[in-house]
Amino acid sequence: MGGIPITVTVLYLVVAAVALTVAWLRARPSRRPPDDPRQRAIRRTTRWRWAGVAVGATLGVAVAAADPLDLGALLAAPVFGICVLVGVLIGEISVAPPGGPTRTAALEVRTVRDYLPRRMSRAVAVAAVGLLALLVVTSANSGPDDAGNPGRALDLRCPPTTAEEHGPWPGTFYSVPLAVVVLLGLVVAYVVLRNIVRRPRPGGTPDLIAVDDASRRRTARAVTGAVGILVGLPLAGVAATASWALLSTACGPAWGRPVGWFLLAAWPVVIALTVWWTTAVLVPKRATAAGVAS
Amino acid sequence: MTDRPTLTVDTDDPTPPYEQLRRQLTDLIEYGVLAPDDRLPPLRQLAADLGLAVGTVARTYRELESAGLIVSRRGGGTRVAAARARPPAAVLHERAAAFVRDARLLGADDEQIRAAVAAALGP
Repeated sequence: MGGIPITVTVLYLVVAAVALTVAWLRARPSRRPPDDPRQRAIRRTTRWRWAGVAVGATLGVAVAAADPLDLGALLAAPVFGICVLVGVLIGEISVAPPGGPTRTAALEVRTVRDYLPRRMSRAVAVAAVGLLALLVVTSANSGPDDAGNPGRALDLRCPPTTAEEHGPWPGTFYSVPLAVVVLLGLVVAYVVLRNIVRRPRPGGTPDLIAVDDASRRRTARAVTGAVGILVGLPLAGVAATASWALLSTACGPAWGRPVGWFLLAAWPVVIALTVWWTTAVLVPKRATAAGVAS
Repeated sequence: MTDRPTLTVDTDDPTPPYEQLRRQLTDLIEYGVLAPDDRLPPLRQLAADLGLAVGTVARTYRELESAGLIVSRRGGGTRVAAARARPPAAVLHERAAAFVRDARLLGADDEQIRAAVAAALGP
């Protein structure tokens, strides 16, 4: 899409690097004895999360580099997010069920809502709905580009007889594969969240329950952040590309220019939100109880 | 979430785990610790927390439902049935009578029974 997704990605990476450094310095883990069993479980889930980050970063770069028409750059963030989610899922599955002859469980009903970070998950939900709505609008107004690629240009009918094309445009050429990957990521996120709720507790005492709840909140925060990256970076790329195309047209529908200006103003906000969600994946310390290391 | 009652299963106990759970849940419901319409944990969650098979917990819930203590609704989870709690005074008398009966079988007289209760109550 004319290098705009790459520009958006580079800007995001620079801001994210600064934010991550600050977040990491503020949330350096407290040291606990290495043989603490709770600490061992937390370290194991953390390792799996980082494995997901590493695999996701590698696959994301490979996907971004694979396509000259920038479809890969648009799909890199969702691929990264899905890899992080899979890493988190494996970490959660690896939590061992309680053993020994005597087992205790609190009589409680756990729900996803108990662990999700409220403000962050609302922001992610708004971004996801915004992305899907934007893709519907851009797809409805797309047509073939100069090279004949269907759904890669903004198709305008300029009265009385002329027609105008502006590309690249996030039409069906980009929106269909992007929507498929994003929806797949949302399904994976649902599975991970359900697993966070259902996985066994290490015990039924108030102390263990408090530590376990903090660990679940931290993981749910990382999942929310991964979904945020999954929808946020594509949303920024689509908004930037669509606004550029809408503002450079000589004719078109009445809504074209206001929407173009709105998207132009929105995409830096989306980048800032995506940086926030990135810190939730890489430094999910804020939601933890005392004593739970990052 | 930490002030909820707990369930304990001892796998070395000859009583099957489903029966251990059934007894504990029955007591919690009849003594009013669990109020009518209180929701019980989903089968899979409780089974995972106790390291038991889902079928074991499912059997407990089935038996409690057959006894009219709980109600399962599709989409609404499993809840304590309405008005199953007994008056605390009646339960207390019943338990005291059971204790006295056991004490008599052990050969204790009235004075020894009172002393045992006083000792259990503490200073």
